[in-house]
Amino acid sequence: MKLNAFTWIIVTLAVTAWVFILPLEAVATILVLQLVLLLYFKRSKTMLAAIGGLAVFTGMMVLLQLLFGSPLDVSLFGGLRMLVMTLAFLCMLATTRIQSIAKALVDRFHLPVEYAFMLTAALRFVPNFLEDSSITLDAQSCRGYSNRGNALKRLLSYVVVIRPLVMRAVAKSETLALSMELRGFGANTYKNMPKEELTLTDFVVLVIVVVLSTYPFWKKFLPV
Amino acid sequence: MNSMISVSNFYFNYLRSDLVLKNVNIEIEKGSFTVIIGPSGAGKTTLCKAMTGIVPFYSGGDYAGEIRVLGESTKGKKVSDLAMKVGLMLEDYESQLVSLTAGEEVAFSLLNHGFPPEEAEERTRLALEDVGLPGRESYQLDELSGGQRQRLALASLLAVHPEIIVLDEPVSAMDPDGGESLYKLLDKIHKEHGTTFIVVEHRLEFVLPYMTDLIAVKNGEIAAQGHCEDVVPQIYEDEELRPLLPDLWQVRSNLEKKTMHQFKLWRSADEAVKELQSKGFGRGVRA
Repeated sequence: MKLNAFTWIIVTLAVTAWVFILPLEAVATILVLQLVLLLYFKRSKTMLAAIGGLAVFTGMMVLLQLLFGSPLDVSLFGGLRMLVMTLAFLCMLATTRIQSIAKALVDRFHLPVEYAFMLTAALRFVPNFLEDSSITLDAQSCRGYSNRGNALKRLLSYVVVIRPLVMRAVAKSETLALSMELRGFGANTYKNMPKEELTLTDFVVLVIVVVLSTYPFWKKFLPV
Repeated sequence: MNSMISVSNFYFNYLRSDLVLKNVNIEIEKGSFTVIIGPSGAGKTTLCKAMTGIVPFYSGGDYAGEIRVLGESTKGKKVSDLAMKVGLMLEDYESQLVSLTAGEEVAFSLLNHGFPPEEAEERTRLALEDVGLPGRESYQLDELSGGQRQRLALASLLAVHPEIIVLDEPVSAMDPDGGESLYKLLDKIHKEHGTTFIVVEHRLEFVLPYMTDLIAVKNGEIAAQGHCEDVVPQIYEDEELRPLLPDLWQVRSNLEKKTMHQFKLWRSADEAVKELQSKGFGRGVRA
């Protein structure tokens, strides 16, 4: 089952709305479906680490809410909502090419190409940025940078790593901008990519989205 | 048309800077493999950018004179349209890659210029084959090694079939084997497609077997230019430029001066040994 990027965006947006309008049982069911889907499509260490990371973050949010005096059930439901919302984005990213998402955002949501391209560029440069930060950290360590002392001291001393890192990033972004100009980046960038039409599966999913999103209007007709 | 790029009386300075290029006059012949040499800060990169219209029409700055690419002035042309005729690979080729997969990277320019997806796909396939990366369309960029990413950058230039390719220090971050293999690839493309190459290079020993023309830049001015055979003696006489010549050519020029003999422009140590032995020099000399 392969969904169009447009359908995925709609589903993701809908899920973020559903967590506020659907009852607890339904939200919990969505969570289970999301986990099944994620493990079916990408059962890798990275995916498990991402899910684990989100679960830990959710736990921290629940704890924070408890600390600020929210009742346990409200805190847990709040955490569940946040987890389901973030997993919806993870599902979209795990199952759809980022270029297709960008194309759908430009073609169907009329997002300016520059903003859509930021999605691709951000993902493209994350590994480079991590590599650069490691190189800069090594270079500054050779010059005497030390990650010791209290938190404030460490934070202040980290400026010597941040500054060259930002300078490198700026220089790279200038080269990237030049490269995009040389290669004709603009209105045609997503227009000429191969078209991805909606299939029957997409329409079925979109109908389900409409039905679930109108739950507040038809729930009064449900038998009690 | 024999002149691919013609630079006439060109002067340029970046905003709030001194003159970077002064009275530059260059003719790049069709099918030539031209190497630009010069000390750091001499204006080599700016000259490359000028040939592709980036300077002054993208970077800004003041200029005088004219640059013609394939007979047409670069003035008023879009940088991306010029790039369809003159491909440029910058020194920081990594940051030049904009897509997530090898196939998307090569097809990027083609799709932007309105090529139908089927043609873009076919050209992508051929360009990747040309650079020795066949069937890697779906590879993520981080699945490719540094050398492969450089070849990918080259493939994305080749896909648009430019008549001229300009490379700014393509092997500056490579080991000797990587450098040699890249220049072998460039030579193959040069011979098979008849593409005109302009390369900025500090380590001439890599490009020795392939170069046909040489341009020496010094303080923003052209100190020497022409076929290698003609300009090497002129460059050798300049004390600042002499160290930029490969050892083999420095030895040759020195020998010519001291022995009053004329030697061919050696392209390899073997060639040098053979000629020296044939002329009765240094019996027992080995490459």
